[in-house]
Amino acid sequence: MGGVLADMGAEVIKIESNKKIDILRRVKETNGDVNRGPNFNGYNRGVKSCTLNLKTPEGKEIFKKLLNISDVVIENFSPRGMPGFGLDYTVLKAMKQDIIMVSVPGLGSTGPDKNYVSYAATVQGIGGFGASFGYPGGEPATPSIFMADPVGGMYGALAVCSALYYHHKTGKGQHVDLAQSEAITSLLPEVVMEYVMTGRIRPRMGNRDEIMAPHGVYPCKGDDKWVAIAVAKDEEWKALCCVMGNPAWSVDEKFSDQFKRWQNQDELNKLIGDWTKDFTPYEVMHKLQKAGIAAGPSLSTKEAFQDPHLNQRGTFLEKKHPVVGKTATWRSPWKAALTATNPGSPCLGEHNNYVFQTLLGMSDSEMTKLIQEQVIF
Amino acid sequence: MFYKVLDGVKVIEYGNLISAPFCAKILADMGAEVIKIEKPCCGDDTRRMEPFLNDIPGAERSGLFQYLNMNKLGITLNVENIKGKKIFSELLKNADVFIENNPPRRMKEVGLSYKFIKQINPRIVMTSITAFGQTGPYKDYKGCELINAHMGGVGYDSVREADISQEPIKAPAHLFTFQAGLSAAVATIGAVFHQSITDEGLQLDVSEQESVIQNMHSLFRYYYDKQIVSRTDVLDRAPAHILPCKDGYIHHANMEESEWWRFVELMGNPEWAKNDLFKDYTTRSEYWDALKPLILDWTKDHTIDEIYRGAQERGSAIGAVYTAKEMLKDRQMAARGFFVEVEHPELGKLTYPGVPYRFSDIPQEIPAAAPRLGQHNEEIYCKRMDYTKQDMIKFYETGVI
Repeated sequence: MGGVLADMGAEVIKIESNKKIDILRRVKETNGDVNRGPNFNGYNRGVKSCTLNLKTPEGKEIFKKLLNISDVVIENFSPRGMPGFGLDYTVLKAMKQDIIMVSVPGLGSTGPDKNYVSYAATVQGIGGFGASFGYPGGEPATPSIFMADPVGGMYGALAVCSALYYHHKTGKGQHVDLAQSEAITSLLPEVVMEYVMTGRIRPRMGNRDEIMAPHGVYPCKGDDKWVAIAVAKDEEWKALCCVMGNPAWSVDEKFSDQFKRWQNQDELNKLIGDWTKDFTPYEVMHKLQKAGIAAGPSLSTKEAFQDPHLNQRGTFLEKKHPVVGKTATWRSPWKAALTATNPGSPCLGEHNNYVFQTLLGMSDSEMTKLIQEQVIF
Repeated sequence: MFYKVLDGVKVIEYGNLISAPFCAKILADMGAEVIKIEKPCCGDDTRRMEPFLNDIPGAERSGLFQYLNMNKLGITLNVENIKGKKIFSELLKNADVFIENNPPRRMKEVGLSYKFIKQINPRIVMTSITAFGQTGPYKDYKGCELINAHMGGVGYDSVREADISQEPIKAPAHLFTFQAGLSAAVATIGAVFHQSITDEGLQLDVSEQESVIQNMHSLFRYYYDKQIVSRTDVLDRAPAHILPCKDGYIHHANMEESEWWRFVELMGNPEWAKNDLFKDYTTRSEYWDALKPLILDWTKDHTIDEIYRGAQERGSAIGAVYTAKEMLKDRQMAARGFFVEVEHPELGKLTYPGVPYRFSDIPQEIPAAAPRLGQHNEEIYCKRMDYTKQDMIKFYETGVI
C-alpha cells in the first residue's frame, strides 16, 4: 500500500520501532542487519522511516502531532493491533476529526473470525484461490504465488484514493476496513458464479481455457524452457499452421474447427509441442506474434528481470542503498506524465530528523532527550 | 453493499472482455456513473462466456458479464463509424474519465489516441489498459491471461516442488487480468483526485504484463543473493503444504514453531510427534516423506471446518482451502455481508461477490443489474442528448447503434 501510494507522489511515513521490528527486516537473509531485508526493501520503495515507541505516553503525543499534519493512516495489523496501542479509529477521530484510516487485515476488522492468524497462504485459501489452482484432474497445488500482499496493498491504495476524493468533496474522514480474503474472491468471480449458476465446483484447469485451443504451455529448446500459446479464432489457427509449415496433421478433421480443436486439445498439444521443441521460447514468440497469434515465453524470475520490453519500459527500479549497495524492485504497473521519482527503500529510522525536526519542529536537545528515553526508538 | 464514494464522477467505458470493464466496475460500484459502450448487435465478448445460468447460453445470462457490468448504464455505439465517432465525442465532452482497453495501433488508426481525446476534453483522465503498454518493443503484440501470466514471471515457478516433466501453470481463471483492472482503477481514482484539485487530465498507460510483475516477490531474493528457487526445490520448512482432509483440503501455513505444536495438540498429541526427526521445521522438511502420511492419517478423518477452526482457536495458522460451496457458507464472509444479491429481469435474484472494503461513513446503495444490450440507448441519446426516436431508427439502420 505504502509503495503504491509513494509511486503516486504521496509522502508516506512509516512508523517503526526497535521495540518490535517489522518481520521483513528480521528474516534470516538479513544476517541480523535490519536494513538488509530483501522483501522489506522491495515493498517499501519510496517510503520514509521513523522510529517511535507508541507504547509510551510521549510517543502517543508525538503521534498525535504527526496525525494533525497528515491526511491518512494506513495499517495492516491484526484487528487487535491499533486498539492495543490505544489508537483505534475512535481515538484517531477524536484527535483529528477528518482523518482517513485504512485497515487491511487478513479477514477483516469485524466478524467472528477477525482475530484468526492470517498469512497470505491462509487468506488465499479462504478466498478461493487454493482450491482452483492446479493441473487438470490433479489435487490443489501448493503455490509459490502469494497474491494476498500485492492485492491487499492495491485495494488499500484504492481505498485511500477514493476516500481522499470523498474528503475533498465533503470534508469528511472515514475508516475503511478491507478484508484480504474478500479481495482475492473479488478477482475470482468465475469460481463463485459457476457454483451459483450451475451448482458445479469450478475444476482445476492448469493452463486450459473454456473454449480456446490450442491454449497451453509447450516445451522448447533448452533446459526446462517453455512457451505459452493462445489461439482464439479460426484465422489465428490458420496463421499458426502456416508458421508451422502446414504439417499434414494440421488438416485432420479432428482439428478442423475451434470446438473440435478444444475437444481434441490433448492430442493437439502434443503435436504442437513436437514443433515448439526445436525453437527457443523467444523465437516462438516472435514468429507467432508476427503472424498475429498471442504467444510468449514462460519467464523465470531472472529472465523476467532481463526481458527487453520490460527494461525499455523501465518496469524495474534499481536504487542505491546505503547498506546493501543496490536494491531492485518494480514500479506500479502504469506510466503517466506525472509519475513520481522513487528514492528507494528506507533504513530503520533513516528519516527521524526529517519527521521530528523538519515536520514537527523539534529542537536538537528535545530529540536527544527523546532518544535517550527510548521514545524515539 | 456499495458505497457512493465517487458520486458525481462520470465515466465512459469503451472496451471489451475483462480489464477495462473491471476497472470501470470498481468505479461504478463506488457510485460513479459509468456509461458502457458496446459494439452494436453482439456487444461485449464476455456475454458469450460461461458460466451461464442453468447452463442455458444467452447474451443476458453470463455470470462473468453480469458480475463485471453491474451498476453501469449500457449503450450500443459503433465508435469507428463517422456518425458514431461524432456522438462519441459529444459523450466524452461531459465525462471525467475514459477507460479503454483497445490495441494502441487500432486506437491510433481510428483517430482515438490520447492526442485526439485531449482535444475534445483536455481535463479528461484517459485510462488505457493493454497487455504490454503503449510503448516498447512488444506494444503491438497480442496478450491474454495465459500469455501475461507467463511473461510476467509468475507462471514458471508458480508450483512448489514441481515435476519438471509437466509444464508450468498459470493462476486460476482470469485472476491476473482482474488484478490489472484493479491496478488501473487505483491509478484512475488517484488521477481523479488530482483532477478534482487541479482540473488537469492525463493518460494512464497500464500494462497487464507489468501488473503480473507486482506478484513476483521472488525478484527480491534473486537480486540480493542470486537465490534462484528451482521449480523442483523441496520446501525448506514443513509442513507448509496444502493437505487433503475428510471433505476437502487445508493449507498448513504455520510460520512459528509454537504454531506447529498447537496443531500437534489439536491432533491429540500423538506419540510420533515426539520423534526427534520431527523436532523443528528443518528436520520436518528433511523427513517430510515420513511425516506426511502420519499427518494425513489424522486429517483424513476430520473435516475442513474441524481442522481450520480447531487450529485457529488454538492460535495455529491453518487455512481452509475453500471451494465456492464452502465460501458461500463461511460465517466470517456472511457476518461481513460480503456476498450481495442482485435482481435481474431475466435471471431473477442471484448471489455475487461484493466489494472487499467497508467505509464507515458513506451512504450505501442497492446494486443494479448489468445492462441488457443497448438498454440505455433511449435514456442517453434521447433524454440526455438531442436525438429523436426517428434519429435512433436511422442510426440503428446505418449500424451506428
